[in-house]
Amino acid sequence: MRVLSLELDQFRNYAALRFTPPSGACVFIGDNAQGKSNLLEALALLATGKSFRAAREADLIRDDAPAASVSARVATRHGEIQAACIVARAGEGARKRFFRNGRAVPYGQFLGGVMAVTFIPLDLQLVIGPAGLRRRLLNAGLAQTSRAYYRDLAAYGAVVTQKNALLRASGAPDRDLLLTYNEQMAISGGRIASARAVYVRKLASEATAAHARWVGASPEFDVAYRPSPALAEETPEAIEQALRAALEANQTLEIKRRSALYGPHRDDLALSLGGLPLARFGSQGQQRTAVLALKAAEYASLHAAAGEPPILLLDDVLSELDRERRHAFLSSLGDFDQAFITSTDVPDMPATLRGEVVRVRAGSLAIENAAHA
Amino acid sequence: MDDLAPPLSGLIGELEKLPTIGPKTAARLAFYILSASREDANALAEAIVAVKDRVRLCSRCFSLTEADPCSICRDVRRDPKTLCVVGEPKDVYAVERSMSFKGRYHVLGGLISPMDGIGVAQLHVKELVERVGTEGIDEVIVATNPNAEGESTALYLARLLAPTGVRVTRLAYGLPIGGDLDYADEVTLARALEGRRAL
Ligand SMILES: Nc1ncnc2c1ncn2[C@@H]1O[C@H](COP(=O)(O)OP(=O)(O)O)[C@@H](O)[C@H]1O
Ligand SMILES: [Mg+2]
Ligand SMILES: [Zn+2]
Repeated sequence: MRVLSLELDQFRNYAALRFTPPSGACVFIGDNAQGKSNLLEALALLATGKSFRAAREADLIRDDAPAASVSARVATRHGEIQAACIVARAGEGARKRFFRNGRAVPYGQFLGGVMAVTFIPLDLQLVIGPAGLRRRLLNAGLAQTSRAYYRDLAAYGAVVTQKNALLRASGAPDRDLLLTYNEQMAISGGRIASARAVYVRKLASEATAAHARWVGASPEFDVAYRPSPALAEETPEAIEQALRAALEANQTLEIKRRSALYGPHRDDLALSLGGLPLARFGSQGQQRTAVLALKAAEYASLHAAAGEPPILLLDDVLSELDRERRHAFLSSLGDFDQAFITSTDVPDMPATLRGEVVRVRAGSLAIENAAHA
Repeated sequence: MDDLAPPLSGLIGELEKLPTIGPKTAARLAFYILSASREDANALAEAIVAVKDRVRLCSRCFSLTEADPCSICRDVRRDPKTLCVVGEPKDVYAVERSMSFKGRYHVLGGLISPMDGIGVAQLHVKELVERVGTEGIDEVIVATNPNAEGESTALYLARLLAPTGVRVTRLAYGLPIGGDLDYADEVTLARALEGRRAL
């Protein structure tokens, strides 16, 4: 998969950018706060429909402009597509609209056109950070390959939010309403957890293999799904039953704690090396290698699901890695079609990666030279 | 700029407060009203005051009405055993426009949404349960919006009414007439398939 052209209008610090990216590696270099990450954010928006950092979507819109637009032509194995997203101010916030080949499409239908793996400094916390980061890893891979997953996740999230609000409100919660929310959680939650169980198995085998290629087969890196509640079976129906039972059994506890305590919003991954939990027993170097193995596995899974290499977006992470890990990671991705990389200066990369260096200065781009001869 | 005619700028200011009306449209409307006949202008002013003075909620179904109970609740030709439950009074007008519903209504006054401070107690839910009991209702058709809150509200009502034995149904989701099948989103298509019927 390859971005043939990118157009930004009133997006972040770009007034009107028309850019034809090279194939292979495209390295954006420049001082801080020039707009390097903004470019990757725009590309990720076309893949996931979301910013990987903005808490407020209105922040994507340049200064006082009414709307921002990101549009790209992308070559895929199914032919060329045009994907666009318009973010328009609406009241205090913003409203997004999605387009495929010039036609407005709902978000759920927009997903899956452009596929990207995003690697940002926050991902470096995947092993030691909060469980939310690991669920984010699962959601990124699943939502891009399954519209049904995205739909269930959105529905599930909305119900959990309402249930938490109900439990936090003063007075005893309405039992029938609580049971209604529990039932909705069980149905969409069953499908979410089932999809995650299948995905984690694929991710785990890729991650274990990547890790073994880099540091040898022993100690083995293992990735396991830790669903909430613990599950014996993997079919959506079985999980739905288990979730329904857990929510029923813990109703009093949830009311007492005033919080939704069980369900896929509490899922986690268990990451271990040679059987020992990495977050507690791993050295910093082992934890970092595990993170890279997970991201390489995400890339491989998306590659397999799409039937072609996804676009790779690396924001400020190469400089965080020592030379050996950087080379091992990039080489393990194999034949990627296109990667967008940001860095303050030209990173040392494997010689096999051809590419171009593009200097970013205050929202304008200038091709500098080929990254490698 | 000097304000040459304060009443005119006053009217423009009031019109601008209306939804979807920007400054330009407000000015155009104000100049139109200024040039209209005295009767037309009076009629508009009186109509505005009248809705504020004379429109209230029907004490039975909670839709908008001048006389209480409303004309639909009083209409003996309407099926007294079928209730259509909607979120807002404006939804009554939407269903009425279809001209295919012959029963009566019950307006909840919103949809359940604890995160917006709207719990069951804030809505006309208790009154619905009472009506189902006292009016001998056979079927409750839940016609709440097809969004997250509408879905939860419908499921909640079905659960709440289950012990009464009344038949509770939900509007089927369909495809928009005149739309392209290949551009319908999967959710709409999946729901339309679930609600399919024999030809
Ligand atoms: N909505 C916006 N309007 C205008 N400028 C913005 C907006 N959002 C961010 N910027 C600017 O973008 C720059 C940061 O861009 P970024 O891509 O994060 O920099 P870096 O090159 O360090 O990755 C800052 O100069 C910031 O002021
Ligand atoms: Mg940056
Ligand atoms: Zn009435």
